[in-house]
Amino acid sequence: MGEKLLEVKNLTIGFPEETGMRTVVDDVSFTVGYGEIVGIVGESGSGKSMTVQTIMGLKNRDAHILSGEILFNGKDLLKMSDEELSKIQGNDMSMVFQEPMTSLNPVKKIGWQVAESLKIHTSMPDDEIHGRVVEILANVGLPKPEELCQKYPHQLSGGMRQRVMIAMAMICWPKLLIADEPTTALDVTVQAQILQLLRKIHMEANTSILFISHDLNVVKEVCQKVIVMYQGKIVERGYTEEVLYHPKHDYTKHLIASIPRNKEDIREDELVMQAKDLNVYYSVKERGMFGKKENKHVLQNVNFHIRRGEILGLVGESGCGKSTLAKCIVGLNKNYTGTLDIREEHPQLVFQDPYSSLNPMKKIGWILEEPLKVHGMKDKAKRKELVSQMLTQVGLDPSYADRYPNELSGGQRQRISIGGALILNSKFIVADEPVSALDVTVQSQVLNLLLDLHRTHQLTYLFISHDLNIVRHFCNRVIVMYLGEIVEEAEVEEIYEDPKHPYTQLLFHSILTDERKLQKITDVEQSREDASANGCPFYHRCMSRSDVCREKRPERINLNPEGQDPHWVKCFKYQS
Amino acid sequence: MKRKKWNYNLTIGLILTTIVVLMAVVGHFWTPYGPTDMNSMLKNAAPSLAHPFGNDNFGRDILSRIMNGMGTTCFVALCTVGIGVVFGTIIGAITGFFGGWLDEIIMRLNDALSAFPSVLLALIFISLLGPGRNNIIFALGILFIPSFARIVRSEIIRYKELEFVKSAQVMGAGKLRIIFVHILPNALVSMLTSATVGFNNAVLAEASMSYLGLGVQPPEPSLGLMLSDAQAFLQIAPWYAIFPGLTIVMIILGFSMISEGLRVYQAR
Repeated sequence: MGEKLLEVKNLTIGFPEETGMRTVVDDVSFTVGYGEIVGIVGESGSGKSMTVQTIMGLKNRDAHILSGEILFNGKDLLKMSDEELSKIQGNDMSMVFQEPMTSLNPVKKIGWQVAESLKIHTSMPDDEIHGRVVEILANVGLPKPEELCQKYPHQLSGGMRQRVMIAMAMICWPKLLIADEPTTALDVTVQAQILQLLRKIHMEANTSILFISHDLNVVKEVCQKVIVMYQGKIVERGYTEEVLYHPKHDYTKHLIASIPRNKEDIREDELVMQAKDLNVYYSVKERGMFGKKENKHVLQNVNFHIRRGEILGLVGESGCGKSTLAKCIVGLNKNYTGTLDIREEHPQLVFQDPYSSLNPMKKIGWILEEPLKVHGMKDKAKRKELVSQMLTQVGLDPSYADRYPNELSGGQRQRISIGGALILNSKFIVADEPVSALDVTVQSQVLNLLLDLHRTHQLTYLFISHDLNIVRHFCNRVIVMYLGEIVEEAEVEEIYEDPKHPYTQLLFHSILTDERKLQKITDVEQSREDASANGCPFYHRCMSRSDVCREKRPERINLNPEGQDPHWVKCFKYQS
Repeated sequence: MKRKKWNYNLTIGLILTTIVVLMAVVGHFWTPYGPTDMNSMLKNAAPSLAHPFGNDNFGRDILSRIMNGMGTTCFVALCTVGIGVVFGTIIGAITGFFGGWLDEIIMRLNDALSAFPSVLLALIFISLLGPGRNNIIFALGILFIPSFARIVRSEIIRYKELEFVKSAQVMGAGKLRIIFVHILPNALVSMLTSATVGFNNAVLAEASMSYLGLGVQPPEPSLGLMLSDAQAFLQIAPWYAIFPGLTIVMIILGFSMISEGLRVYQAR
């Protein structure tokens, strides 16, 4: 420790433009010592990715390095020939990317891809290479490495692919591992496992890690030192604990500023929506003219209700059926059985991706006016009036009506989406991950807007999110879904303090908080074959399963006494 | 990272096309000489100051005939593309959006239609309907429908799963409104590019049909017809073939460059 492995000195990178050079990385200097984990935090556009791409030699051709040097082991990478560079890249220094879905070559077997960098950088014989590949795959926690070598990327889950990526990066025992948002695309439980794996690698191999993330909680979890970047400059640096608990720069304070809290306590008994034994299907058509329509059973026996004025959180991993439920409620999927009783006209949906939810060819004014036109409001002046009012309400200037969506930032677009949902005076809004595509500081602004509108318009939200920290602060009650079933439902504090279902426990222990809960997690990636179709959906990952879980599906039971808010859970542990 | 580059394709294409359109429009009302006025003194006369493009075998002024014939050629091409675009858009939009068995049937019919060489099919139509300007518009128009239908269909399919379409559905917009008001404007640029390509093909198709004597009937001038007549005099009056040919090249070059320019403009 202490010796400098990587030293970036006064690095400045810019893009040439008509009006001159636009600087994206401005006079950035930092060091990574042997065996250190350094985090770089910042929002999109802060220059953090550009910095590490330059270190890794992956810089965009249009970008010009205006000044500075990057010393690796004392030698300047920027002055090296391509030949010298390629000896370092992938060998002494390697990288893990954000997108495990696209970073692996889909037509090559896993074994081949992991072995490739050994083949390039060493002259090991083939059988030795294979042995090393199997060893490293086992090392990153992948089961049955021999079989895995013969598989293709599409046969693996996102978490497994990210482990493969880490194995690829680690195979030559690099001195420096650059991890660019390695857990951003992953589910919470998987994210916790990958972070654990990175720490294990760091301890065992004493590898230095340069860790890029926009998520402070993740950085807090793994990094010893942290660098905060804003608009191409380093605004703050230091030991992680110190920076995060005693931030000095305004931007860092902003970044750390907590999620807005919903303080209202809802005590209304009137229901806005009730689902009883809801089973939702998704029809998949086989290809060809006479292909049969096949019904995929996505949601099974879903029972829940939403009270007027409350914010109900819906959490679960990707693919658990959260979005399917949202689509079903707003009427986009009519392929269901059971009863879905919605007592509010036109429930509206706010989508996750602000970039595809607005029609790119239409002006904002047109987009907001359209629902009014569709619902037969003939008076043009009245429509324009309502549009400007709505723009003001979502915190934008009425002049935005004349702009096109591509002139707006992600946060502004999401405000437009919210405005579009409210303009018909709907009181019930389904928000499907409304802030997960946004930067942290923008997230809290949009959440604040949602809270303000909730108060002033007496709205009811179904708030879908995978971010458990936001849900805790934002919602009154929470339902937890796993593989198409609601496994637990309770008041927010109750469920966060005392989760009952084994899946909820796993999920909430994966939240990165001050107390290092992470060590407690023992998640198993077992094969799913041993679960039977009739058994509990969580059987294959459950730590407290018994034989009955394999044979039967549990019914939901209420753990709370009569008169209190119910705490529903679907698990045999509590059935007796 | 906006960087503007001079879109020379679009500029040159627009200039060429403007010249063509101007000449065709002027040629409709006024030509230096009457397009059908014969003059036995000037049979196969070479280009001169009075007749810059020369004269044909009947002593008719070639420039006047080109100016007049361009109108005919462009009219046929425009109508053909018009038929293709209108019906192709309707068919493509509806099959693409609704899918299902209707889509299958119409798209297989489409495949069948595009499996035959289009000139051959046009010949069959003409032999059934008889030659003439309106018949050639009809025959070529039908042949142009499948390609447009396919382009519109693929655009509709690309957009129909996007969230802004879903949000239009949630707000309660009708299906036809979603197709024509929400989705189609997004397909406009690719439709325009393929319409310009289609226009070129139509100019060529009209020229070849008239060349075969099945299209526009004499004495009405058309570029294809002039080429066909010039064939016999290629040795003694090459200008008779060269100038109508160059005009066709200019029309097509202009439109091709516009279409390429639009593609670049869309990619931005």
